Amino acid sequence: MPLDTSSYSLALLRLDGRRWNELRRITAQISTMPSADGSSYLEMGNTKVLCTVTGPCEGGGTRDRDRADIRVELAIAGFSGVDRKRVGRGDKRVSEMVSTIQSTFASTLFTNLYPQSTIHISLHVLSQDGSLLAALLNASTLALIDAGIPMRDYITASTAGSTSSYSSNDESADPLLDLNTSEEQELPFLTVATLGGSDQVSVLVMETRVQAGRLEGMLAVGVDGCKQVREILDDVVREHGKEVLKSGRL
Amino acid sequence: MPRELGPSLNERQFFLQALKEEVRIDSRGFGDFRAIQLDFGDEYGVSDVRIGKTRVLTNITAEVTTPFPDRPFDGPFTITTSLSAMASPSFSGPPSETEVLLARLLEKTLRRSGALDTESLCLIAGRAVFSIRADVHVLSHDGNLTDAACLGVVAALRHFRRGDSEVKGEDVKVFTMAEREGVALSLLHYPLCVTFSFYEGEVVLVDATLSEEQMREGSCTIGMNKHGEVCQIAKLGGAPVDAVILLSCSNLALRHVERMSKVMEERLLEDAKRRYKGGIKAEPSSENARVP
Repeated sequence: MPLDTSSYSLALLRLDGRRWNELRRITAQISTMPSADGSSYLEMGNTKVLCTVTGPCEGGGTRDRDRADIRVELAIAGFSGVDRKRVGRGDKRVSEMVSTIQSTFASTLFTNLYPQSTIHISLHVLSQDGSLLAALLNASTLALIDAGIPMRDYITASTAGSTSSYSSNDESADPLLDLNTSEEQELPFLTVATLGGSDQVSVLVMETRVQAGRLEGMLAVGVDGCKQVREILDDVVREHGKEVLKSGRL
Repeated sequence: MPRELGPSLNERQFFLQALKEEVRIDSRGFGDFRAIQLDFGDEYGVSDVRIGKTRVLTNITAEVTTPFPDRPFDGPFTITTSLSAMASPSFSGPPSETEVLLARLLEKTLRRSGALDTESLCLIAGRAVFSIRADVHVLSHDGNLTDAACLGVVAALRHFRRGDSEVKGEDVKVFTMAEREGVALSLLHYPLCVTFSFYEGEVVLVDATLSEEQMREGSCTIGMNKHGEVCQIAKLGGAPVDAVILLSCSNLALRHVERMSKVMEERLLEDAKRRYKGGIKAEPSSENARVP
């Protein structure tokens, strides 16, 4: 359903009152589930995701004997979207996200330290309001850190869009950071995930049509957003570490 | 299901050493495609794409159906992929990850970018529409299925002719090809995919063969049309690559897409010439073809 975003050019404010380079509020907690080896709860605006990590546990190594397998399960709650819809496991969009998360962490975690074992990442989407894949990747990073699985660096993700629609060729189009659902339906956007706030892109997914010239701006804004997200996630981890130290749970 | 056999350690070492010396096993340049061969079948809507040893056959069919209630004006357009054991023994059994990702990539490149004008398929709103179905069969798998399949589907869609139709009140009549000339589908643009493979963080290869695909650390598929619009980018995990390299990939993709579009254009023209029987002048002939 097309939504009127033409008011953007008047005040340079988006529908929810943000400027072009502002993230939504990101809050996260880790160690939320006592039973799991690692767990996290992440909110990016109204997108809410729960992640638990179990493992590395015995069994696996079916793909490669010298490495741990990573298994990802993604459940999208029926009540998470605007209209109540059951999303099955066989859904292609879901299996694409699952294989993206799996392949991203397969090259970020030191899986070679755990031969013939499996790391389970289980993700639950409680509420969707845009940037879903980005939220899933961020939540998985936090839970894997909580589980103490050695990794190269944080994988942080964000989305970036462009205010021009694909057909128009206007020069005044601004790139936008961190889109919500209504913006995602209206504007071209991409999801980008980088390794540890560097310029190394490990995930780049775009599903909408856009002029090639606009890509550079969108990618730059997205990568910059990932750097901001890394700072936020790093704060969460350090805060949690301090609390654990203070309570003497170690 | 037999497991897909990867390259041996020796092969891997040899390949990576060769890459360091800027040589590919089949002596292509890093940014070069294998030879692309595009053929069309005797019937409309059948395309056969060969990129090196990879071979993909696509068949387009149309039938009259009732549209989905939430989209009364749109004709459904479905793409199905079948990776049979004929292409590789590891494809037997339930749909593999490769198959799901291939289907999804084609869907994103062709359907979400609005390549086919589905509203032009409408006959009676809410009652009758043409539904278009593209069946992609992989006959031989030697890497780079995505690019081959995408080229195949677009070429087949452009080649396809559906039966002409006539609507009288509530009745729909679809004419056979013998009764009336077929009608070409209305395509808004022709998106094509180019897949890049990454090695050791720096090296970027275009059109990887199967063994090169098995040894790659990451890949990125960019869907573009020749007007320079990016329709889809999919770098689904894998090793991290510098953002600047990805941007240069999109420039390279445009060059390849332009070249592939040209090949497609030429082959379609040749096929049209082959089918052209002389138009209206050829029809009223009193000569008996069976008598020499």
